[in-house]
Amino acid sequence: MDKHLKSIDIKDFKCFKDFKANGFKRVNLIGGKNNVGKTAFMEACYINLSSVNIDSAWRVLSLTKFRRNSLEYIGKTLEFKDIKKDFETTKTVNIDSNINQLYFSVLNYDGKKEYKFKINSKETIININEFSYNYEKNDSIQFIDNFGLDNSELKDMFEAVQKKDKEEVLYSYINEFDSNIVNFKVIGGDKPQCKVDGEYRDINEFGDGLKHYISIICSLYACENGYLFIDEIDNGIHWSQLDKIWEIILKISKEQNVQLFATTHSKECIESYGRISKKFEEKEISFIELGQKNKKIESITYESDEVIEQIYQNQEIRGW
Amino acid sequence: MVKIICEGDDDKSFIRQFLQHLKKEEVIPSNIVNFDSYIQSMKGKSNLLDSEKYLTIEKQIGKKIDKVLFIFDCDYIEDDNRCGGLENSKDCIENLIIQLDWSIEVDYYIFNKNLDYFIIDTLDKKDYFEDCESCFRLKELNKNRKILTCIYKTLYPKKPYDFSHKNFNDIKKKLVNLFKVESL
Repeated sequence: MDKHLKSIDIKDFKCFKDFKANGFKRVNLIGGKNNVGKTAFMEACYINLSSVNIDSAWRVLSLTKFRRNSLEYIGKTLEFKDIKKDFETTKTVNIDSNINQLYFSVLNYDGKKEYKFKINSKETIININEFSYNYEKNDSIQFIDNFGLDNSELKDMFEAVQKKDKEEVLYSYINEFDSNIVNFKVIGGDKPQCKVDGEYRDINEFGDGLKHYISIICSLYACENGYLFIDEIDNGIHWSQLDKIWEIILKISKEQNVQLFATTHSKECIESYGRISKKFEEKEISFIELGQKNKKIESITYESDEVIEQIYQNQEIRGW
Repeated sequence: MVKIICEGDDDKSFIRQFLQHLKKEEVIPSNIVNFDSYIQSMKGKSNLLDSEKYLTIEKQIGKKIDKVLFIFDCDYIEDDNRCGGLENSKDCIENLIIQLDWSIEVDYYIFNKNLDYFIIDTLDKKDYFEDCESCFRLKELNKNRKILTCIYKTLYPKKPYDFSHKNFNDIKKKLVNLFKVESL
């Protein structure tokens, strides 16, 4: 990764009409009230960073839409027409950052639809049938939504740990999370399992927090020189584990050069973030507070010292 | 949201108690829960009156903060401080407000001398405390009367100040105005 995402300008995307935010650091925690657009903000960043050509832009726009609608497809066979249908509900997207410029809109001439993409000044008009699925997947940009990774995705992320010979590090982190667990493997192709009392058990037999914790650690290794987005980072995690998670994130994100964005509603999670940043004198962190006034969404980005001071003074930074 | 900007943690604690009292009196909205989040301590009068110390708050002005009330002590003119004494303090805060140039409603309240002096004047046993102050020549140790308010808190840990005292009327008006429903 040449650059970190420093700023973003979202003109048309979901709840954002004309939104700007800047001052992002290596690790960024996002807070705000319900429906203010925390997840949409991360999706906009994710789409912008992933959109390097039409194939990647179309894929990431579809994927983002699909991710939100995924529950609607449970029990159904997903077909191209479903993805197309989801994709076509997006009318315009206009997201610029210090990394990429992306503009997308649907053109409608007498019932004939075409799609206009402008990516980093290069403009193309294309028919949906010309979209290609033969994209080159960028593994160094990952998005963990609030449902977490499925087993197949976790297997992919774990491969990065294996390639880097970091299994022992992962085992020790897992053991710190739950001292009964002594090992972790993907067995039988795509079955993540944890070893307890001499026996491997499917990871889904454990609490959601453990899978989320392992997903975060593996994804950090997978996103070397890239970007990791985590929606509701403290989902399923007991408060007493939060310091450990932030310590791991600060350490691995620095070691692997990963820029991380995460959302939370939890005051305990924010306090832990400030406490651990202070403990390790980490300056490359920020807190992005989203709020709404007169129906306009705005942001305030706090730097490391400001985050710590706001927490110390018991100020409310979880949105307005 | 509104913000009260004060000098230090003692002031913050006093304002918190006062707001709790106003909430009980039902003159500020009942949905205000975390009083601390409305009060920002600047860690000293010199910081409070220094426009360079408002970088974080400035990020919030106009977005999150709609109204600000500064509360601080005027201290003593003989302290050889540019902002010592009531008149100098007024000049300093008005200059600060001009320098900050926030396009929101900004007001201020200044305690005559200091918070402790102000509080002692409202105590129902004020005479006893002043006798104590003379006997032990406390003013020679600390003219701000901090020792007396500490004695009060030690003697009556569960008894709050008498916020219905007429001396509190002006600051009460400012706080009630700050928390008017339309400004939240």
